[in-house]
Amino acid sequence: MNVVITPAMVGQVVISGLLAGALYSLVALGLALIFGVMRVINIAHGTILMLGAYTTFWSFHILGLNPYLSLLVSMPLMFLLGVLLQRTFVRRVVDAPELSSLLLTFGISIALVNMAQLAFTSDLRSVEFLTGAFLLGPFAFSKSRVISFAFAVTLSLFAFWFLQRTKLGKAIRATSQSREVAMVCGINVQRIHLYSFGIASALSAAGGSLVAVMVAIQPEMGQVYTFKSFLVIVLGGAGNYPGALLGGMLLGLVEQLSSLFLTTQVSEAVAYLLLVLVLLLRPTGLLGGRST
Amino acid sequence: MARWMRQTAGLATVLIVAAGLWTPAAAQAPIKIGASLSLTGTYAALGQNQQRGYRLCAKHVNEKGGVLGRKIEFVVYDDQSQPATGVRLYEKLITQDKVDLVMGPYSSAITEAVANVNEKYKMPMVAPMASTTAIFKKGRKFIFMMQSPAEAYLEGLIDVAAKKGLKTVAIVNEDTLFPKATVQGTIELAKKKGLQVVFVEAYPKGNTDFSAILTKMKAANPDVIGAATYFDDAVAITRQMRELNVNPKMYGVTVGGDLPTFYQLLGKNAEFVYGATQWEVELPYPGSKAFLESYTKEYPGVDLSYHSAGGYAGCQVLAEAVKRAGSLDGEKIREAILKTNTDTVYGGFKVDQDGFQISHKMVMFQWQEGRKVIVWPDELAAGKARFPTPPWSER
Repeated sequence: MNVVITPAMVGQVVISGLLAGALYSLVALGLALIFGVMRVINIAHGTILMLGAYTTFWSFHILGLNPYLSLLVSMPLMFLLGVLLQRTFVRRVVDAPELSSLLLTFGISIALVNMAQLAFTSDLRSVEFLTGAFLLGPFAFSKSRVISFAFAVTLSLFAFWFLQRTKLGKAIRATSQSREVAMVCGINVQRIHLYSFGIASALSAAGGSLVAVMVAIQPEMGQVYTFKSFLVIVLGGAGNYPGALLGGMLLGLVEQLSSLFLTTQVSEAVAYLLLVLVLLLRPTGLLGGRST
Repeated sequence: MARWMRQTAGLATVLIVAAGLWTPAAAQAPIKIGASLSLTGTYAALGQNQQRGYRLCAKHVNEKGGVLGRKIEFVVYDDQSQPATGVRLYEKLITQDKVDLVMGPYSSAITEAVANVNEKYKMPMVAPMASTTAIFKKGRKFIFMMQSPAEAYLEGLIDVAAKKGLKTVAIVNEDTLFPKATVQGTIELAKKKGLQVVFVEAYPKGNTDFSAILTKMKAANPDVIGAATYFDDAVAITRQMRELNVNPKMYGVTVGGDLPTFYQLLGKNAEFVYGATQWEVELPYPGSKAFLESYTKEYPGVDLSYHSAGGYAGCQVLAEAVKRAGSLDGEKIREAILKTNTDTVYGGFKVDQDGFQISHKMVMFQWQEGRKVIVWPDELAAGKARFPTPPWSER
């Protein structure tokens, strides 16, 4: 009953792993940003992804808007929501013990999921756009996944460039290195927190819009992305931005390859086993924690 | 002052108690039937359909004068598709809300978990949406099955495949109770019909990417693929089969493939897909026309699926049993259910001494031009299977 694994199958699965991994990277980058700047673990990160996915669904369903163009709607919208959440709630727990921020963002997440259930019902939705695949030799490239991959990579690289090169990006990194020194240098730390939460939410929303064309949309879809993002940022080094990009790709590959060589049942266990190993051998993550 | 108040309060109490004693039967408090259903979470769409069946049944029973001279009323909570939550809710329903009767939740996994609760309180539970044999074969006395067992879900697919001369089968399943039972049953059936099972793999609940499983499955090159899953996975697997260009001659799903939403979500990609169903609107069971009419009147434009009909019929079976038992006593209702042999809108109902269903029949349909056409068994078939399923590139 066992299937002989051929190089072509490995290739196919590596493709799938990278396609999935780029999305993990994109979403995890947002989580890393919030953690890096504020030391807040945002449980509601995946929830924002879910709202981004719904934004895409509704703009596709009602306005007939191209799902990829809907990034232009979902990202600014969730940027604003992120700023609002930071301004009203998260701000209060930035200096509190980490448990407070966990509880708060957990609460926000539950509230948002339930609001989404009331507003959108829990019916499964999907955006049927670009079904099918490009076939290249023995390999199939799912159209929707390939395009989502391209967007995810572009956005991640752009966000990375933004953090490295722009003045605001440098201020964000400075704040995440040392808030006191950043303040001394004249950086308005409160404002940086607002921007960081907004940008992180926009990245998560982008992830949501991009997965909307691939999987079923429902109010609880975000949870799994919160967990995966966690895994990714711990793998890559909490608060380390290149680490988040690397960690995402790694998670995608590990999930898929362990599904191929072992079974899909254990693939999640393998991913967490990897996490344990990394924490044992390199407690600060693969690229070290909280670098610039 | 205080004395005056005490006296008035005393008098009022006497009056209220007396009023209670004199209330005629029809105005008695309704009989409360408790249930937890998956109104949110993975099984939300299906659990909501089941709930509509329960509610419609209560309405109809009450229109016909209720049960034991009292109206019936459902107390429904949301178990969020989680067995542990279901257990907590049935405890609450029975011990705190003091419901008089209970009905089953949605899905085998949740029924298996909550069956220990109603067993503990000796409260009979008709479980309309549990089709895993094991639940009913553990010596429990108070749980009753309505559906064909999980093992029979892909019987139609295997039977037609064998008749068409196909040789190999591959199965993918969610790693939970019900799909696992389907896989066991399908392997047995395939052996009996002379088909070879070339690949079986389970995936954990909540999995969204099936690339690796499907890549392996494609390499095994089976004639027939069966997916023992629930609704959202059935959609995701079908989509990814197309993306990865997996082309079996027959492809069938178990649960959820029968929902109109399945076709709405997948569009043309749902064509040729076989589905198993416990029930279809057009099956010639007694009362099913009237059921359809009142359902569409009560819930215009809403999904109607076997979950609704099963919920409806299960509640009817319980109501009838209570009438014949003449009391709300668990043991007496149990005896009445064990003696029941009837045809409901959902098909036959008769259980053995374990509460295991022995009368109900499963059917298989195929999506053809946006319609579900029943293609198996022959005596209920409304059309012929479009065979073989063409490759994705030629659809």
